[in-house]
Amino acid sequence: MSDRQKFIRNFCIVAHIDHGKSTLADRLLEATGTVAKRDLQEQLLDSMDLERERGITIKLTPTRMKYNYQGNDYILNLIDTPGHVDFTYEVSRSLAACEGAILIVDAGQGVEAQTLANVHLALDNNLEILPVINKIDLPSAEPEKVKKEIEDVIGIPAMHAPCISAKEGTNIEAVLEGIIKEFPAPRGKENAPLKCLVFDSYYDNFKGAICLVRVFDGSVKKGDKIKFMQTNNVFEVTEVGYFTPKAKESDVLLTGEVGYIAASIKKVSEARVGDTITNADNPATEALPGYKQVQPVVFSGIFPVDGSKYGELKDALEKLKLNDSALDYQPETSVALGFGFRCGFLGLLHMEIIQERLEREFNLDIITTAPGVSYHVFKTNGEMIEVSNPSNLPEQSFIDHIEEPYVNAHIFTPPEYMGSIMELCTERRGENTDVVYLDEKRVRLDYTIPLSEIIYDFFDSLKSRTRGYASLDYEMADYRPSKLVKLDILLKGEICDALSLIAHQDKAYERGKIMTEKLKEVIPRQMFEVPIQAAIGGKIIARETVKAFRKDVLAKCYGGDVTRKRKLLEKQKEGKKKMRNIGSVEVPSDAFISILKID
Amino acid sequence: MSLNKFALYVHIPFCVSKCSYCDFCSFVPKNEQVSAYLQALNAEIKAKGEFYKNYQVTSIYIGGGTPSILPKNVIFEILKNIKTNFKISGNSITIEANPNSFTLEKAQEFKEAGCNRISFGLQSHNDEILKILNRKHNFQDLVNAVNYAHKVGINDINVDFMFGVPTQDLEDVKESLNRVTNLDITHISCYGLILEPNTPLYNEVKNKELQLPSDDECVNMYDYAVDFLSKHGFFRYEISNFAKKGYESVHNKNYWARGEYLGLGLASHSFIKGVHWHNTSNFNKYLSTPLNCMENIEPETLKTAKEETIMLALRTEKGLNIQEYNKKFQSDFLKEYKNTISKLSTQNLITIKNDYIKINDFNISNAIIAEFF
Repeated sequence: MSDRQKFIRNFCIVAHIDHGKSTLADRLLEATGTVAKRDLQEQLLDSMDLERERGITIKLTPTRMKYNYQGNDYILNLIDTPGHVDFTYEVSRSLAACEGAILIVDAGQGVEAQTLANVHLALDNNLEILPVINKIDLPSAEPEKVKKEIEDVIGIPAMHAPCISAKEGTNIEAVLEGIIKEFPAPRGKENAPLKCLVFDSYYDNFKGAICLVRVFDGSVKKGDKIKFMQTNNVFEVTEVGYFTPKAKESDVLLTGEVGYIAASIKKVSEARVGDTITNADNPATEALPGYKQVQPVVFSGIFPVDGSKYGELKDALEKLKLNDSALDYQPETSVALGFGFRCGFLGLLHMEIIQERLEREFNLDIITTAPGVSYHVFKTNGEMIEVSNPSNLPEQSFIDHIEEPYVNAHIFTPPEYMGSIMELCTERRGENTDVVYLDEKRVRLDYTIPLSEIIYDFFDSLKSRTRGYASLDYEMADYRPSKLVKLDILLKGEICDALSLIAHQDKAYERGKIMTEKLKEVIPRQMFEVPIQAAIGGKIIARETVKAFRKDVLAKCYGGDVTRKRKLLEKQKEGKKKMRNIGSVEVPSDAFISILKID
Repeated sequence: MSLNKFALYVHIPFCVSKCSYCDFCSFVPKNEQVSAYLQALNAEIKAKGEFYKNYQVTSIYIGGGTPSILPKNVIFEILKNIKTNFKISGNSITIEANPNSFTLEKAQEFKEAGCNRISFGLQSHNDEILKILNRKHNFQDLVNAVNYAHKVGINDINVDFMFGVPTQDLEDVKESLNRVTNLDITHISCYGLILEPNTPLYNEVKNKELQLPSDDECVNMYDYAVDFLSKHGFFRYEISNFAKKGYESVHNKNYWARGEYLGLGLASHSFIKGVHWHNTSNFNKYLSTPLNCMENIEPETLKTAKEETIMLALRTEKGLNIQEYNKKFQSDFLKEYKNTISKLSTQNLITIKNDYIKINDFNISNAIIAEFF
């Protein structure tokens, strides 16, 4: 290892949402003089507005800090990580770029589900863990108890963990000292062929896709020919540099360093997270381990409210996709909603973020259909097809059986809510696999549960049943056979494809009933009676009726009334344009959204 | 040179009291206001007569307000002035009257002035309902008024009747219609009450002091009226208008055919050469500039012309004449509205027969007409 490498530390921060990760990051930037206090926006590293609003980090911004410790200048690279379970793979790649991880635990809340999940990810990547107890300024802080909890639950020593208040800036020096003393310097050979891990990428309008990288072996500079080892694509490097946290061009990225590479790469999908960059002329023999193609797990249809905005929606999705390789979309045609897209997401949060960005950044009014998962449908002819759109489910007679995705869910809760949570999980077809008493105040419940059951409002139900005390984490498990049926909604005898969904046989009846009741509330009276029916495989299981309105007339229409009356009717017609026509039935856009909110 | 034709409407904005549902331009006048108004109106008649000398008047309608409350001889003078300044070709002069302000003397004056049709505002036979409507007459007043009209030889008589009034029920409607059809009259206007914002009745309903009959009750009242009136020789020729054979209102039919009309007086509406406008509804403004007080001047567009044609025609019993539409707009109605027609036909909401398209249930006519917009 070169002397230069000895003074580099690459680390990240892992924490549960709200435990103070972004605040600590801000304090570190400030304490190292990377960013002057006056320039420090609240939570600087979260660059998108949406992230700041939701208090979560989606995109990772690696920042280089300089810190002089006992006479030596150190380079500290902070790689921020997203906190949400939807982005677990990205987190794992970010962790792989580091040698150490600061584990922040709230001095009042203790260890939470996500904390544990992320710590395990860090341990899997052989990272040194530096526990930090945050929020010691709070009256409810019990740092000693939390230290013990870390040792008991996670199994790492925590007696010397710095106790800090990131908010107040208390004891930040101890964290910096810990980073330097506890975390190893990056290993790696300067003379070996280039090996760079892509741990994130984003799209820049001028420079193309930018790869955020950690150099493991060798070095990379402008003009080098580089090769992506998964895709075998070759590019010429146009710029390298690092973040302070603003992008700053440099001559070269050396072994152990963290920075960015621009190489006129057209799409983010050509710069995949987890891929290894090597030198095209002098390639490494083996890629870095751990690459995985990210797969969407939650699907839903997105349609423009105004059918003529299809082109705009397409452009918007293309632009989002440039920067988000996990977003997947394909054109979809719905009888009810017209032209739109079937979109795949990493999870519900990812879906909501995309929806919000479409609405805010692109100013589009969209209709989103009920989120669903991808089913494995085994046909009677032995063929297996993946179905994520209920409309594509083959007829019952062609189906041998269907398998649905399950997840392993971990729920952390105070013991008093156990009964309520178990009830919820059972309702959602969950199977209890383990109950672990962590201490007298905390229990971990492990469940195997269908993914489709937790993508609706499981998290909200969990929070409301436990007054917000429980936390949830899950990872994909496997596919299992399930008794699933397609539930159709018929309006005046016509199937409304946008309202169809795949549901478990035991729940389809109840769901059909609730949906018809809800639709009856939101579909206005029309010129004729509108029967609303729920059907499974042609069999009607529930029915409601929206009665025809009987009176819509203005009595007199003489000379003075003509223009006024015409304008009234024009207004009436304008109102109708906001409706979707299902056959002859006019359905307000709200109807599609309203049924997402029932369970 | 052939003359254009239009109908004349003359507005008399005065009443003895204001009805609780009325949002028309009318008020209870002070004495000098009446004479000032007549001066302005007569000036307007003179000037407009000169301006529209290429027009022939096919019908005249004196409405309000309550024209019958004007002092003796005023109506006579107004009509005389009109006859002096306009070319009159038709023989249909209607005047509105309240049952209690219509004396034998008034009847004689109107007859001499040239009126041959009278429209009485009855609204209900029931004193309780009339009280809610803030109307000051009773049913016997109407019986007397109709007699006076016949005495002077005015036999073309309309009675306005209203349904859907708070506290009214189907039995009330039956009784009103029964009494009205027993009179020797030719025409009945049968309106559903419309609550106009900022009227006393609107506020009372809004404040839940009074309650409107339900939609279903109103529909039953209307359907009953249509059936009952046709059995008694009054045939519907427009949503709210029923007449004995040969007594349909010439003046109103001109509106529904989208013919031209000129309004005279405060707040009166006009439609000439494809332009809608109305005179100011500001009384003092009208008094000072009766010749120059046009407001909301709106020229038609192809779209509004089509919409109005369809809207007005579909409100009539005959419906819209498809050939006439095609000729007028150089279009093919059935093609132009193919989807709408197919949707409405499937639901049995319209009928197309012998070149006419008509609405099957007038109770939902707004919704059906809006489909064509």
